Amino acid sequence: MIGSRGTGPACLKYLLILPVIFLLLFLSSSSRSGSDAAAKVRERGTLLWGGDAEGGAPYVFPDPKNVDVLIGFEVELAGAIAKVMGVPARFVQNAWDSLIPALERGDFDLVINGIEITPERTAKVLFSRPYYVYTEQLVVRREEDGIRGLADLAGKRVGTLMGAVSQTMLQQAGGVDIRIYSGVVEPYEDLALGRLDAVFLDLPIAAYYARPNPLLKYAGPPAGEGYYGIAIRREDASLKEAVDGAIDRLLRSGELRRIYEKWGLWNEAQEKLFHPDRSPGAGASGRDARDAPLVTFFPALLKGAGITVLVSVVSMGLAVALGLLLCLLRHYSGGPLRIAASSYIEIFRGTPLLIQLYLLYYGLPNVGITLSPLLAAFLGLGMNYAAYEAELYRAGIEAIPKGQMEAALSLGMSRRLALRRIVLPQALRVAVPGVTNDFISLFKDSSLVSVIAMVELTKTYNILAATTLRFLELGLVAAFLYFAMSYPLSLMARRLEERLAGRTR
Amino acid sequence: MISVRGLHKSFGKQPLFRGIDLEITKGEVVACIGPSGSGKSTFLRCINGLEPFQQGEIVVGGVELHSLNREKPGRADREAIRKVRLKVGMVFQQFNLFPHMTVLDNIIEAPTRVLRLSRNDATQRAVGLLRRVNLERKIDSHPSELSGGEQQRVAIARALAMKPEAMLFDEPTSSLDPEMVGEVLSVIQGLVEEGMTTLIATHEMDFAREAADRIVVFDQGEIVETGTPEEIFRHPKKDRTLMFLRRVLRRNALPPG
Repeated sequence: MIGSRGTGPACLKYLLILPVIFLLLFLSSSSRSGSDAAAKVRERGTLLWGGDAEGGAPYVFPDPKNVDVLIGFEVELAGAIAKVMGVPARFVQNAWDSLIPALERGDFDLVINGIEITPERTAKVLFSRPYYVYTEQLVVRREEDGIRGLADLAGKRVGTLMGAVSQTMLQQAGGVDIRIYSGVVEPYEDLALGRLDAVFLDLPIAAYYARPNPLLKYAGPPAGEGYYGIAIRREDASLKEAVDGAIDRLLRSGELRRIYEKWGLWNEAQEKLFHPDRSPGAGASGRDARDAPLVTFFPALLKGAGITVLVSVVSMGLAVALGLLLCLLRHYSGGPLRIAASSYIEIFRGTPLLIQLYLLYYGLPNVGITLSPLLAAFLGLGMNYAAYEAELYRAGIEAIPKGQMEAALSLGMSRRLALRRIVLPQALRVAVPGVTNDFISLFKDSSLVSVIAMVELTKTYNILAATTLRFLELGLVAAFLYFAMSYPLSLMARRLEERLAGRTR
Repeated sequence: MISVRGLHKSFGKQPLFRGIDLEITKGEVVACIGPSGSGKSTFLRCINGLEPFQQGEIVVGGVELHSLNREKPGRADREAIRKVRLKVGMVFQQFNLFPHMTVLDNIIEAPTRVLRLSRNDATQRAVGLLRRVNLERKIDSHPSELSGGEQQRVAIARALAMKPEAMLFDEPTSSLDPEMVGEVLSVIQGLVEEGMTTLIATHEMDFAREAADRIVVFDQGEIVETGTPEEIFRHPKKDRTLMFLRRVLRRNALPPG
């Protein structure tokens, strides 16, 4: 919240060097991992496997009866593979959409987390032989009759998971209003609330989250078919061999089938696991986004930037107005209103914005208030920043000598008139630098609204990067876009300050 | 015109006034003198309703301020205070001009918004007053562009623009450079000669002696002595008056060299 004062042109030079340094660091750390990775794992004595336990059922998730213990079919699979290799397995938590970059960075040995084998990913990492044949399942609300399959989705709001094959399939279906989430719990929530018309996700996810929900039902048969594979760094061929061997043993011993049956995931399709070379011909994406020139992504990124600007400007407008009201109530009213304003300010400053956003968007529907993502974003950011603006105004008012109010009163002005005409105009001038600083902060904080299904610039970057795996280039472009917007903003803010300072002095 | 009876005032548990009485008739000029912290400023501020008090009664031009004490004055109290403020103008030690407004806007702000004068009428009035304090040429300046003496003269014009029946001056020259004291005092002198009812707290003994009809000596929250300038400066009855006068007059009249 506390921003430094505007950056001068001298600092700009250093700022331009930063990406270069960042690039060098990135390159230098990517090439570790020795030649015999399998041996290293045995030497270390643990197999580190990455996954996302947040909303991760039935793959990997905290046991509801004992949240310190992770359960799920992949937990058991990882344990079984590690056992074959003669070491224990240890889970490493990582957000699902960045599992592959984290693997490349060396955070763990392999990824077991419903990673679909796609051409984009195959170009980046090695895949073990498939360990599960997945299908995609369309889910709708119980009363929905019009949607029976992918063909009926044109113009409908359909939720899916960022970077998943289901997302690509929806894109290929054409005309679908795709809403992209980074978790699998939220899309079903939004579907039940009517914010979505359908959700299209991997069958195991639907089986766990949607089937038990009386408000939802499956629409049509499963679509698409593909393999989950265990992702391993390109240079760790020996580890892939070891893992492949382990999967083969688990298949033949029937251990794998036992695990899947236990989780209700075994079906006829799994027989294909014995002959993995016969391609299931599933949702692989047609167009190869990996080699597309960077310019291809600009329209999407610019659209995201537009949303970022919209969200920032409207929220800031709200924050400025609401903040003023709060400040006045806290300063000049009495009794319950004053206490309410004070509590508001303390509560909103004392709790994380992220939790406030979740409460607004996913919490309020429990009491019958369902906000659209855009409205929730405006309110969430605006109400949070209002608390900070109120404090800035308070500091401004306190900086105005008491004599100003007294002089106005002695001229027969009412307190209210004196406040409006004499004290506030001066106090707001004092507050301007802080407010413009906050605007720049809010501008960047606006990326947090991506948790409530708003696709702004950061989210657009996440989506593009998760599908193309071009985290570095796209990240630099997105960062540059933010900078290109915030730097002129801080220049303008400084000019405004200078003008105001020149007038009051 | 202004009548104070049995005024009690304390700051928290610290008592200042323990029963003060003073009558000021229409057209009278009263100067309050006394050491710093003796209560003369607070006394003026009580009359203008800027300081609440605990007991006693202040009547200004027929409007009564009761113990307007109580941390929060009621609606009727606030109305009374506002009526009083419309009758008496106040000039502060620190000028308190509005820095975000021009000289003209400083002067016409209250007449247009409180008295509902048209901007034209208010401006005409302001121009006349500025001519009177000899600052016509500064009409579009901002306060920060004026000297202290000029600011205080604008502040006087601002108070006069409300056509008050009486003026309160709270040490109007105390934060001025010595060479600017004269220009401000001569404006006040002019007002006094026109018959404006005036109550002034000041450290300028010569001015008090020449301009005032009556001198009130404050010390430690009490009125020590009241009298004509002649009585107070020539024949003070109280030792505390004498001691105070000795201190300030010696300082004011240093022998040359």
